[in-house]
Formats: sequence, structure tokens, C-alpha cells
Amino acid sequence: MKSEILYPGAFPMVRLELAEGEHIKAESGAMVACSPTIDIESKMEGGFLGALSRKFLTGEKFFFQTLRASRGAGEVLLAPTVPGEIVVLELDGVNEYMVQKDGFLAGADGVVIDSQMQSMSRGLLGGEGFFILKMSGKGMLALNSFGAIHKIELKPGQEYIVDNSHLVAWSTTTTYNIEKATSGWVASFTSGEGFVCRFRGPGLVYIQSRNPGSFGAWVRQFIPVSQ
Amino acid sequence: MVESTPNALCFGDEFSASGAPCLVHVEDHGLTITFFPDRDGAVSRSESLRFSELTVSAGGLDHDQLVATWVGFKGQRTLYLKSSDVIRAFRQAAPDHLSQPLERAAEQVRQVRQRHRMVWSIVGGALLVVVLGLWFGSDVLVELAVDRIPVEWERKLGESTYHDFLAHQDVMKEGPSVEAVKEMIHRLTGQIPESPYTFEVTVVKSDVVNAFALPGGYIVVFTGLMKKAESGEEVAGVLAHELNHVLQRHGLERIVKQLGFVAVVSIVLGNPPGLGGVMKQLGVELMTLKFGRAQETEADLTGLQLLYRAKIDPSGMITFFQRLAEKDEGRVEWLSTHPMSNARAERLKTQLAEMPKQNTEPFTFDWTNVRASQGAPISTLR
Repeated sequence: MKSEILYPGAFPMVRLELAEGEHIKAESGAMVACSPTIDIESKMEGGFLGALSRKFLTGEKFFFQTLRASRGAGEVLLAPTVPGEIVVLELDGVNEYMVQKDGFLAGADGVVIDSQMQSMSRGLLGGEGFFILKMSGKGMLALNSFGAIHKIELKPGQEYIVDNSHLVAWSTTTTYNIEKATSGWVASFTSGEGFVCRFRGPGLVYIQSRNPGSFGAWVRQFIPVSQ
Repeated sequence: MVESTPNALCFGDEFSASGAPCLVHVEDHGLTITFFPDRDGAVSRSESLRFSELTVSAGGLDHDQLVATWVGFKGQRTLYLKSSDVIRAFRQAAPDHLSQPLERAAEQVRQVRQRHRMVWSIVGGALLVVVLGLWFGSDVLVELAVDRIPVEWERKLGESTYHDFLAHQDVMKEGPSVEAVKEMIHRLTGQIPESPYTFEVTVVKSDVVNAFALPGGYIVVFTGLMKKAESGEEVAGVLAHELNHVLQRHGLERIVKQLGFVAVVSIVLGNPPGLGGVMKQLGVELMTLKFGRAQETEADLTGLQLLYRAKIDPSGMITFFQRLAEKDEGRVEWLSTHPMSNARAERLKTQLAEMPKQNTEPFTFDWTNVRASQGAPISTLR
């Protein structure tokens, strides 16, 4: 499967070339256009209960769509709902990533998607909710962000601090603790950061340059109040 | 081929930050690590490590990976092992000097898991306690809340609903029916000297067999109910019951319960229609107040005592309820909100039997006249 990101920047699409018989799963509604050889199916990834838990626990969609090149090779164009970059990762069977609930765009058939419960402190304060997606297995994985995606490479023992709600994905070889942004409680909140995640390598952390929650709050002030 | 699948990630200065996938074999003397050719086309290569070169610990996001570090030719390297088979083989083959740190790492993993389990059980337990507490303690909470609401507020709440309701009804301003009801209310309220309420009663011309009380002391009696009654005592029984709904603040209790429920629902599901929707809903609720079974029993028993104190024959209350239930089930409005069960009638009879016999005082009005005065206008309406 070959992938190419078209129009990199705020409004990108990803083009995936599928060989005959090859198929991918994508977030429901992600398909923009495709060759006539591609069949679109709706699938509850992980069975009914898996889909149900994903829907209720992570807020992800109940159905994923499966795009299958059943009648010959073809290409698929996919795009996320929100403006923001797309990044394509290659899972090799040992690399695993935790992905925040809106971050999944598409994955090869060999990619396994699970919802996983976080620890109490990470769930409460990490800004990602108690349940996040865990991507393992093998193959192409496309993630999307709100704003630009920035990759942070951490060497073993190297630390980096990320404001919560800016996380997109992180390798399972990293660890992180939630802590106050500054030493004092009041300053932590008046600084506008509240809680931050202190990551420790080795591994990769993908962050997004915009915070969807803050953007939502900013937009809300311009929405006329209906009677 | 299974053998060619990587089972570990190796980190070090010469590798990318995402780690180099590699295949780890546990042997008697140590580990053999085979690196796969990367995309740059480098050849696959292997290196052997002795156990004596390694230090181990637990690591990774959930502290469930075995981390082995050593210093190689190109600086420090770190190996992340996740496969349980490899970890097991490692533990079995590891010499004595590693068994202690391995045990420590395993203990760390156990502790993390135990801590997670404990925190979640505490949270789950706390949630259960809150839910059970609300379920069983809601009555106490409702009572506490109701006690804090001043009678004045209750009166305003009932008053607006009362006037809204009467605006669309054919209200009887005077006549024998109004006089009769006034006398009943006067006799009954005379026995409630410390009542904070000023009772107001209105007779509404309608065939609906019903009577209801609103919070704050507003009572509505329909002529349909009076026409069904064979004596003034029977109507007085219904009024005594309704008065006690007011005195026990049952309407308010229902509203507080409903409000609490609405608040909880709003918190859980959001509040799309806004507070206005809630208030509207409350108004509707107020008009169709269905009193709970416990409240009905309470109003029955206290109503019976009130009749007794007012020297009005209480047996009228029981016979009227039963007769309505037998003859007109399904057509009598009052019964739809006050279902007449045998248990309810029996409870009242037992209560009545326990009261010492006393002489009752009849009403001053003639019930046949009262009924006749209602019959005429209604028949002309038809």
C-alpha cells in the first residue's frame, strides 16, 4: 500500500493506493473520493461490544468504514473532519501507540484498534478522557490532528512537558505523569496551563499545535444565543 | 515466518527515536539481538550480550515492559521487551545477579496493577455508595430540602398555577354548592389551628369527577364529584384528604424530587431545552400531580383524623372512595390519581375502628338541595 499526503497543511487529504484485494479501515465519513474498483463497507471493528465500548468509552465512531479494492487496484482519498495535519506512521508489530480519541483517520487491515482504560490521574487530568485508543499490529496508520502535528523524539530518560489536550499520539515505551504547570496551584491555573504531562523517553510523542477544547470555547462566544 | 517478526524495540544514539525493531533470543549465556535491515538498505546484523552486561527494570506506559540497558560500543542502549514469552524465558535463564532486580521489576509491575485496581475499586465503591445513598436517602434529602422552602414561596407557586387553571374554567361564584363546600372547609380548617396556610377553595362547574389541592392551600372541587356524592360527609372526606396533601407539603415534595431528578438528568445528559423547558415541565407536572403511594396513605390517615376532630362522620370518606371505585372505574378522574385498592380501604377501616366512638355533628345545609342546585344548570347546558 502506498500513501501520499496531498495539500499538506491545514486542509490535507491522504491518498492511499490499494492493490487488488487489499483493504483498509477508516473513520466513518472519512472517504472523500475513490476509484470505482473500491467497495465501501461499514464494519463494527472489534465486534458489537468492541464497537459499543469504543463509541461510549472513547467517543469514537461506532462503525468504521472498510474500503476494499475488491474489483481491481485503485486509490482512495481520505480526509478528517477538522482542519489539521495528517501523519502516516508504519507499525511494525512491536511499535505501539496510544492515540487520543479523535486522532484516528485510517489504518491498514493489520492494525489492531483497542480502547484502553487509563489510570485515574491520567484519565481525570490528562485531558484525553479515561479511555483512549491503543494501536498495535502491523501496517500503515494515518492519524489526524487539530492544527499542525509536531513530532517530539525522546531518547531514553529524556523528558519533555506537553500541555494536556495537545496530545495526539505517543508510543507505549514512553511514560508520563500528570503534574501542575507551575509549583503553585493558583499560578497553575492563572497561567492558563492547569495541568501538564511530563513525558519520559524513549519513544515518540505527536502533539497538535491547537487545543480543540479552547478553540471550541473561543468559537462559542460568537454564536448568537437562541431564544 | 514467525522467526523474522521483531519482538522488541532497541533504543540508542544511532537509532531513530521510535526505536529499532529487533528480534531477541534468550540463550543460556545471554541474549542474541538481531536487527532488521532498515529502509536505508543496511544489512541485518546480530549481536550477542552476556547477562553480566545487563541491568534490568520495569518500564513503558503501564510499567508492564521489561527494560534492559547496557553500554555497547556506541554508547548506552536500552531494550524494551513486551512479549510475555521472551520475558518468561529471560527470567528463567537469568543468572543470580539479575534475579533480584528482575524480582524488583516484577514487584513494581504488580504494585502498579494493584494500585490501579485499588483506585478503581475505591472510585467504583464510592459511586455505588452515592447511588445507593441517593436511592434510599432521597426521601430524607427531599424532606430536608422541602423544610427549607418558605411557605410564602409555596403559596406563590400554587397561586399562579391555580389562577392559570381557573382562567379556563367555569367557576361557580355563589350558590348552595359553594356555601356547602365553604362550610366543610371551615369545619375542617377550624381543627388545624396552627396552619401556616390560608385555604382557598373553588367549585368548578364540570362533569369531571375530581378534586385536587395545589401547594400553598389552593383547592379545586368539580361539581361532577359533588354530584356523585350521596352526602356532604362524603365530599368532606375527599376535602380532608386533599387538605392533608397541602399540610404535609406533598406537592412540594414531588416537585423537589422531580427537580432533583431533572437536575441529575441535566448533569448527565446536558440540558438542551434550558431552564425554561424545565419550568414549563414543572408547571405541567404541577397540574397532573400524582401523589406517591406513601403520600396517599399519609393523606388518608391524617384526613380521617381531621374528619374525626371536626366531628364529621368519617365513614362517608371510606364508602365514597369504595363506591366510586366500584361503579365508575375508568371514568372517575380522581381515582386515576388516587387508585382505590382494597388494602387502602381496609387500612382506613382498621384506623376508624381503633378510634373511640363519638357523636358526629351534621352539616347545616341540606345535601339534596345542594345536588338539586347543581343539577339544574348542568341539565340546561346539555
